[in-house]
Amino acid sequence: MFALSFSRLLLQALPKQPVTPRATAQCIRSLTSQQEPLKKGDMPIKMENPYKTPPKTCILCNITVDFKNVQLLSQFISPHTGRIYGRHITGLCGRKQKEVSKAIKKARSMGFMSVTLKDPQFIKDPDICGIKHFE
Amino acid sequence: MPRYELCVILKAMQRPETAAVLRRTVETLLERGAVVRSLESLGERRLPYKISKHDSRHTHGGYFSVDFRASPKIVSELLDHLERDIDVLRPTLLKKDPELSQTHCCGAQAEEAKSAASR
Repeated sequence: MFALSFSRLLLQALPKQPVTPRATAQCIRSLTSQQEPLKKGDMPIKMENPYKTPPKTCILCNITVDFKNVQLLSQFISPHTGRIYGRHITGLCGRKQKEVSKAIKKARSMGFMSVTLKDPQFIKDPDICGIKHFE
Repeated sequence: MPRYELCVILKAMQRPETAAVLRRTVETLLERGAVVRSLESLGERRLPYKISKHDSRHTHGGYFSVDFRASPKIVSELLDHLERDIDVLRPTLLKKDPELSQTHCCGAQAEEAKSAASR
């Protein structure tokens, strides 16, 4: 407390002088050198972004989903119970998930697809959904 | 006239009998003023589950698809007629929707969203 007030006294005692800006090397350069003339051929060329990422698509993009295509529909059901996988497992977009779900239910009621199991001939099909079953 | 698709499962029979059933089915359609576009066979396969119809349990059946144009008035009569037919296991009549434009699929939707956001 005592030290603080002592320093304040010192500051008040020193004569207050206007602070002049120090002339550094960079400041001098900007003041004295001339601006380079703008070259017309140096402007950036307008082009499409070359680093554009391809649009995100789901696996069934531009593929028609049909209730008769039992092999395709069987890839989205569980091999053990025949239940339809959810969106977080299949990775399909909203529209396609709904189409697949509707097609599976249609096929089941029409006698094309089984309800409680996956057709044995389609069990060896490649795994789209990437779900890990209990082993 | 709206387009319909009749997916019918017939009893597993010999070829001449199957032909006779299909013949009378298509004749019924034509009688009621339908225009049959195509008749496809989806093969004779094992049914996904046992179907009990007309006092018997079936394990195999022939799948057929008839594509036709007809007035909506005959739909209920047709289904009634097919249900009574002994050789038909499961008749299903569907209305064919007009094809949804493929351009509105995922990729196009994402692009549209991006361009709308950037504006």
